[in-house]
Amino acid sequence: MSEASVELWVNGERVRAPVWGTEFLAEFLRERLGLVGTKVGCGVGVCGLCTVWMDGKLVSSCLVPAVVAAGRHVWTVEGLVALAEGRVADPPPGLPSGRLVRAVQQALVECEGLQCGICTPGQLWAACALLQEEPNPPEDQVREFLAGNLCRCTGYQGILRAVRAAAREGRCVGG
Amino acid sequence: MALGGRADGWAKVQGRAVYAGDVRLPGMLYGAVVRSPHPHARILRVRSEAARGVPGVRAVLTGADVRYGTYGRRVRDMPVLAREVVRFAGERVAAVAAESLPAARRAAALVEVEYEPLPAVLDPQGALEPGAPRVHQAAWRYPGAVVGPEDPPNLQSRRVWQHGEDVEEALRRCAYVFEETYQIPPAHQGYLEPHACVAWAKPDGTVEVWASNKSPHRLRAQLAACLGVPAERIRVMPVYVGGDFGGKGSPMDVPVAVALSEATGRPVKLVVEYEEDLTAANPRHGSVVRVRLGVDGEGRMRALDVRAWVNGGAYAAFKPVEHVNLNGFAEAGNTYRIPAVRIESLIAYTHTVPRGHMRSPGSLEANFAVESTVDVAARALGLDPLEFRLRNLLRTGDRGTLGEPWMEVRGEEVLRALAEVLAQGGGAGGTPRVEEGGWACGVGVALYCRAAHAGETEVGLQPRPDGSVVVWVPFPDQGAGQHTVVRNVVCKQLGLPPGAVEVRQADTDQLAVDSGVGGSRVSLTASAAASRACQELQRRVEQEGLGGLRVQEALAELARRRPGEGVRGRFSGEELWLNSVCAQAARVRVDRGTGQVRVEEVITVLDVAEILHPPSHRAQVEGGVVMGLGSALMEELVVEAGRVVSSNLHEYRLPSVLDVPALRLVLVPGGKGWGPHGVKPVGEMANVAVAAAVANAVADAVGVRVRRLPISAEEVYRLLRAREARP
Amino acid sequence: MWAVEYLAPEHLGEVLEVLAGADPTETVVWAGGTALAPLLRRGLLEPRRLLGLERVGELAGLSVEDDGSLRIGAVVRLRELYGAELVRGRLPVLAWTARRIGNLRVQNMATVGGHLAHADPAQDLPPVLLALDAEVRLQSRRGTRALPLEEFLLGPMQTARAEDELLTEVRVPPRAFRWRTGYVRYAPRSAEDYPTVGVAASVEVDADGVCREARVAVAGAGPKALRVRAAEQVLVGGPLSADRCREAARRVEGEVDPWDDTRGSAAYKRAMARVWTERLLRQLAAAGS
Repeated sequence: MSEASVELWVNGERVRAPVWGTEFLAEFLRERLGLVGTKVGCGVGVCGLCTVWMDGKLVSSCLVPAVVAAGRHVWTVEGLVALAEGRVADPPPGLPSGRLVRAVQQALVECEGLQCGICTPGQLWAACALLQEEPNPPEDQVREFLAGNLCRCTGYQGILRAVRAAAREGRCVGG
Repeated sequence: MALGGRADGWAKVQGRAVYAGDVRLPGMLYGAVVRSPHPHARILRVRSEAARGVPGVRAVLTGADVRYGTYGRRVRDMPVLAREVVRFAGERVAAVAAESLPAARRAAALVEVEYEPLPAVLDPQGALEPGAPRVHQAAWRYPGAVVGPEDPPNLQSRRVWQHGEDVEEALRRCAYVFEETYQIPPAHQGYLEPHACVAWAKPDGTVEVWASNKSPHRLRAQLAACLGVPAERIRVMPVYVGGDFGGKGSPMDVPVAVALSEATGRPVKLVVEYEEDLTAANPRHGSVVRVRLGVDGEGRMRALDVRAWVNGGAYAAFKPVEHVNLNGFAEAGNTYRIPAVRIESLIAYTHTVPRGHMRSPGSLEANFAVESTVDVAARALGLDPLEFRLRNLLRTGDRGTLGEPWMEVRGEEVLRALAEVLAQGGGAGGTPRVEEGGWACGVGVALYCRAAHAGETEVGLQPRPDGSVVVWVPFPDQGAGQHTVVRNVVCKQLGLPPGAVEVRQADTDQLAVDSGVGGSRVSLTASAAASRACQELQRRVEQEGLGGLRVQEALAELARRRPGEGVRGRFSGEELWLNSVCAQAARVRVDRGTGQVRVEEVITVLDVAEILHPPSHRAQVEGGVVMGLGSALMEELVVEAGRVVSSNLHEYRLPSVLDVPALRLVLVPGGKGWGPHGVKPVGEMANVAVAAAVANAVADAVGVRVRRLPISAEEVYRLLRAREARP
Repeated sequence: MWAVEYLAPEHLGEVLEVLAGADPTETVVWAGGTALAPLLRRGLLEPRRLLGLERVGELAGLSVEDDGSLRIGAVVRLRELYGAELVRGRLPVLAWTARRIGNLRVQNMATVGGHLAHADPAQDLPPVLLALDAEVRLQSRRGTRALPLEEFLLGPMQTARAEDELLTEVRVPPRAFRWRTGYVRYAPRSAEDYPTVGVAASVEVDADGVCREARVAVAGAGPKALRVRAAEQVLVGGPLSADRCREAARRVEGEVDPWDDTRGSAAYKRAMARVWTERLLRQLAAAGS
């Protein structure tokens, strides 16, 4: 009874792990590879908890069958942390810079852009992707971009403050 | 001025915070649950051959295989897996453990259960009628039951709160009586992390549990009672909780995971799909609330009668309060001077999903009903709604509606502050409505008062050789900043910088007692316990003759002399006559042609005392307002033929950032806090009065009264057209 | 023991070959996957094989064809659609609409072809494309055929696509670029909700103010996105007066056949189809002046 497996690139490393049935990338990353920073929330692509970067785009990993991810380059929040800590030698183009990741992380902490933290990896991805594409986005663009990342704890105000602060690479300013 | 960022912030922005579903143990299996599709049925047969045929399946259990008793937080009426009969669509009938998650889920889908559907009762009024199908044969027999054999068979709980004159008498004497009935549907707490747990029944007879649960000590006690073992054999391990809002206080699937672990001899992780959480966890009760408000000729409130018929679902197990009723109902009208008050809450068993607590349980229902009626009364009497409230406000020195000897009541302070804010941009009612491009604009206000309650907890404090300290707390930080609050107390009291204080959650073996997170009590109890621990530590420093040294040097030396040792501080609650008051206003626009309601701004004025960590205090308020908007405008668990059909987040809408209007927060300091740090609780304040404020604003804008939540465009449209049709 | 297989051919011919011989319950066509993935997760679909379209060159890209029509490849992602200058320039309403579907991640994954083949009657692109006279191309080993979108959409999750056929492209004729087109998505409950109703309309008004061409299409108000010719007939041949707009809207109300769901009752949807048709048409009328 041999097991099927999937091979792909995760956070710059080639990995291979077993896969069963119609297993999805979110669970594959968490349970097969132990990368539990990516969370599973609604399972239908609405909440954003399972956000990962795949071949240049942010996707809902709960909607990507693991077999569909075969051969692709996937980055998770663990990879973002590696970028932020300067541990990635040759990041693929399109990923946020380590400096941007650090700025957003710092801002989220200082601006109370998180409480329970379950949505935070997804918010981090969304905020970094936005600021990378648009370093100084107007408010309505920020809201539109972050609309797909739900948060039940903060009421979003802290997250918006954090994005503004990170864009300025400045301190957190209220209101 | 914030004392540094959140204590747990860095772990969370790195994705390193571990939640229950993240735990992985060697040899771990994955669990999945088989659930009943019927609201009420007899289980005739369970066939597991096909399920066992899935490669990697290690156990399939039914109710017959589980020897544990029923469980619950107070009333222990819930079986781990249903035996003989299922009482709600979604009830756990069987469970599977397998080597991989997809295999477990596939196997669960292949378990065949034969049912004989039985007549079901789905609403509380119907359930309380004689002859209604019984949900439980003898509900009074369950441990912790609060009903007796003489009560209606489907009564789950009945509470009456009353004070002052006889309310019927008082109503009869009133010049005006306003009677209105409101409907509040079931709603989900909306935590984004679905229920998850890992259980490991070890060969030595102990059980280790990681669970998305905000009261680890209570969970341990509940499990011990269910499993029939001493609590010492169970260890609940610390993890972060991905949102709670009242929905993560129950054992939920942990007993199932324990059973699977015992059956297989291996750790078992059980994470539910969000659909299971939406349809079969412990959502808010649905209520029908009838209000009768009596007012005299001078516009003074003289009598208030509130009656609620509440749907408790099939089991009372998920409710923690001793009478398993909703204490929030007791708050009805509590911001006013009303000499005759009677409130009755009847909770019935029905064949629907068992209900639980959702942030300020009972409060939103009572507030929506009463604050809407107050507005109805004001308008009928030709009075400005704000004025009418001011005329009737309870003030410091008055006794409460139920005779409470409040230390203070700051309704006037917050309402006047709100009035000032509104005066900058439009009144609360009575003035002609402004029409802008087809939209009618309006403003509505609502007032809310919540009593503070203290719980019980113990905190450990341990100095380290580098002069820093570890604070051991028994409760998780499910987002409300509890760990940060404790850190700040210790910093302040010991005179340490934030970097020198680390807060860690201990498991249940390490600290003696904790009533868990909930009821907004953690700040009060935790700060008091932490304060006592600090005093104890300072005493020890003195005892050791180290009082003359700088703090960190003293602590470092203490740690060196007594390695690994620490002190504890315990606090146990007492009755507090402390409250917080919140006044909110909503500015809305209503499209007459479609009924669409757009909330432009929500203003929240909050009565505060000392604030231990301003950023998380503010976040609690902002998060609360948005959650309130969710209940006001979009959240409803739709139940059809007893089944919750809002089964995913496409159907059950949670507010996204695009749904949030301008939020303004005004703090009115100067309140009397409590304890060594003079705090008032905040977690369950800002979400409650939003719905009434919005409904009142809609009435102000277009003159129709929405009596059900969520306030939908269709309902406003229906009311507008009905009014046009009237002669 | 087994895992679903993922086949990602590079050529259309291979895809059609597989489709020709496949059992559709076992082989599922996979583009963005956003509509189908939840069905797989719940076990409502249990395919043995996913036939991936992402690498098929013939299905990619946007271009202007020789006859001036805009060709949209079936696997063009929604984000690609609204990001393309071709679309933003010629058909801004199409771009505007695509940007409001789902969320950013959905827009990164979901494809135009997948969106149309899914045929959920509450979706946003169908009414807009109907109002633009869009056509779809279906290919199989047996040959190619073009169908007006109106004939492609048959009912809830039902299209005219045969089991062995693949939707390969969508085309918008050049005449549609001249029209004044608008789309209103009425989603009162929450911003990212599916619309209660969505109304799209196009008009072509000549120099004398006479309406020469009109298209009116509605989503969320029936078993499929519906083009309401009865409404169009009212508009053509005269000025876009308030009376005509109102009458067209009344005709829409009469033609749509909605059902009750969490976004509104049938009666409400019918009324909203009327209200928003009238408002949109009046807006289009005013835009020209």
